[in-house]
Amino acid sequence: MAYASVILTPTFKLSSSTGINPSGLCSPKFATERVRCSGTSPKSAAPRLVSKGCKLVGCGSAVPKQKFSNDDLAKIVDTNDEWISSRTGILNRHILTGTENLTSLAVEAAQKALEMAEVNADDVDLILFCSSTPDELFGGAPEVQKTLGCKRNPPAFDIRAACSGFLLGLVSASCHIRGGGFKNVLVIGADCVTRYLDWTDKKTCVLFGDAAGAVLLQACDSEEDGLYGFDLHTDGFGNKHLNAGMKHIETNLASGCDGDSLGFSPTHASFSYIQMNGQEVFRFVVKVVPESIKASLAKASFRLSDIDWLLVHQANQRIIDHLATKLEFPMDRVISNVKNYGNTSAASIPLALDEAVRSGKVKEGQTIVTAGFGAGLSWGSAVVRWG
Amino acid sequence: MANASWVFTPTVPHFNKPMISPLISTFRSRVYPHDRILKRVLCSSAVHGADKVSVSELKASRVVGKGCKLVGCGSAVPKLEVSNDDLSKIVDTSDEWISVRTGIRNRRVITGKDKMTGLAVEAAQKALEMAEVDADDVDLLLLCTSTPDDLFGSAPQIQAALGCKGNPLAFDITAACSGFVLGLVSASCYIRGGGFKNVLVIGADALSRYVDWTDRGTCILFGDAAGAVLVQACESEDDGVFGFDLHSDGEGYRHLHTGIKANEEFGTNGSVVDFPPKRSSYSSIQMNGKEVFRFACRVVPQSIEIALENAGLTRSSIDWLLLHQANQRILDAVATRLEIPADRVISNLANYGNTSAASIPLALDEAVRSGKVKPGQTIATSGFGAGLTWGSAIIRWN
Repeated sequence: MAYASVILTPTFKLSSSTGINPSGLCSPKFATERVRCSGTSPKSAAPRLVSKGCKLVGCGSAVPKQKFSNDDLAKIVDTNDEWISSRTGILNRHILTGTENLTSLAVEAAQKALEMAEVNADDVDLILFCSSTPDELFGGAPEVQKTLGCKRNPPAFDIRAACSGFLLGLVSASCHIRGGGFKNVLVIGADCVTRYLDWTDKKTCVLFGDAAGAVLLQACDSEEDGLYGFDLHTDGFGNKHLNAGMKHIETNLASGCDGDSLGFSPTHASFSYIQMNGQEVFRFVVKVVPESIKASLAKASFRLSDIDWLLVHQANQRIIDHLATKLEFPMDRVISNVKNYGNTSAASIPLALDEAVRSGKVKEGQTIVTAGFGAGLSWGSAVVRWG
Repeated sequence: MANASWVFTPTVPHFNKPMISPLISTFRSRVYPHDRILKRVLCSSAVHGADKVSVSELKASRVVGKGCKLVGCGSAVPKLEVSNDDLSKIVDTSDEWISVRTGIRNRRVITGKDKMTGLAVEAAQKALEMAEVDADDVDLLLLCTSTPDDLFGSAPQIQAALGCKGNPLAFDITAACSGFVLGLVSASCYIRGGGFKNVLVIGADALSRYVDWTDRGTCILFGDAAGAVLVQACESEDDGVFGFDLHSDGEGYRHLHTGIKANEEFGTNGSVVDFPPKRSSYSSIQMNGKEVFRFACRVVPQSIEIALENAGLTRSSIDWLLLHQANQRILDAVATRLEIPADRVISNLANYGNTSAASIPLALDEAVRSGKVKPGQTIATSGFGAGLTWGSAIIRWN
């Protein structure tokens, strides 16, 4: 299977005493000088330079105020706490209500990440907003940028990749740092999938919650590099198992006018409810995710036994348990908070990471294998170091 | 203003040639095993158990490409053409009013069962054909759109329809009319910093679905289309993305947006706390045309100048100006400001209107296939729009 993945070894150290690195390739220092000198006019801003490494330096998360238990759901749909918790491990979820919106959650998560990283909003030079459910058709990232108060107009755009969104965002951030000269990249995973659920369908409405999580990825020297390897894929044929397709609603033309003049009847688009074949999705996940994790580990030259934590997309506890078992990874090293929040799509990984870091569970310098998977179907994994 | 911009010149020597020095051998033998060192900068596709691969095999693998070039393009538009006269029958406007103020005469609209993804696939196929690259060799597919056919994005379905066998990653980038330029710059980052080799960048939008067809201020402006470019990894000396400059200003959000509205018909149980959540959809496009016009005329020339500086080039290096095809007046104003002659400005918005993320690759494709843009020519391209977001890049058509 052809795929793009990057091999980086964590133990590679650059010599700082010469401009030449041991591989015989130009070291960043030498490369730095070349890039500075060639082709820049005297008036230009300081050119950005390729950094060979990137590291996770801050995280944050936020959830809506209102919590809804399984019992709350049992009042509006034919289900019960025992059914939900035994099949999914979910006990509660948080849902946006009132004047809350996704942007405000994302901003809160981002602010906390910046605070932990001790990085000013003005020093952020790229914001990646990973979401399938932004508050704005044209993307939620710019509003987050504005509310955070990033004064230098850093580019801010959305990545739409469902539950794999955050992982893609993290890898994208590393590519933008390594290949584009960016320095402080905010990667936010935020979703309010509950807006697109059929609340009469007990098979789906019990699974999801709303949340936001954020990580600051920062450029650094190779020896500090904290993203060791990744493996990412999509299989569009699997779209039929998990989707929320477009549907068209006839719109009103001005009175007295009709579509014949135009040659078509204008419609307004909206998305249908989320449709999911749970069994197929489960089968897909337990097949591809362990393979992907093994591929990432190989690229990173790590063995699973070297890894401190397993952090997969928090879809449901059964999937998490199944993956850990298949990988023969000890359960006490598996991060899980799905019981409190349900499946929060792109937010789930940074939300779980943030809780694990702030509770003291995940410590600086520890390695994590993280994996995302979901609609697309898309999936991927990465081997990272926290801090 | 600190900005994200990339310094790369076509004259930068090739980084990857080994530097021969006694110091290296010393380092090699003293510090690290040889195979680990080579692994450090190699990236692979379809490598299984990389730590078992021999050194010579690793040497044969792809080295992270320091350059990237544009090697193929394609585009597709819907069949149905809607003229200014057609529109004047449903809103209070006229062909004269629209064409004088915008330069637009016709636009294409997706109808019936046609989908945006269908257009995107067609555009991508043409780009692959021109590039002589097989769908199976695509290792990343970026769909730049604000109007996907699925909440979760449409890139995966395009990947499937193209028949890309290796399960290459495919995802959507949402950045409105700046989407394609951002996608192009992102592609260069994925190639330079992530080891990707053949990146399909597709700009496709169907804004006709979000337009208020009773609002003559907006419904006259937009059309549907798709365009695609294949960006390929290459050696530094062949590099074709010379410099860029990207920005957003969320303060400008209010001038151009289409926010979430809760649909009353999918109601709640009427309780104080609105649970279950109301069904959501996006409203029609709201735009303050004057402010957006002012914004574009102000930021685009600046951004192109910065991208040129970062590329180590001057205005005189530009063979073609290729802007997001929003409005002929904006194109004219920017060209005048940059002192680029009108006959070097690519424009096809008269036929298609503002096709959002599709507009740049659609115009590029027509210009390439008509023989206007020739291999080796330098293009200053700039996207701008909702966000507000804008970005420029100085590129070479291969």
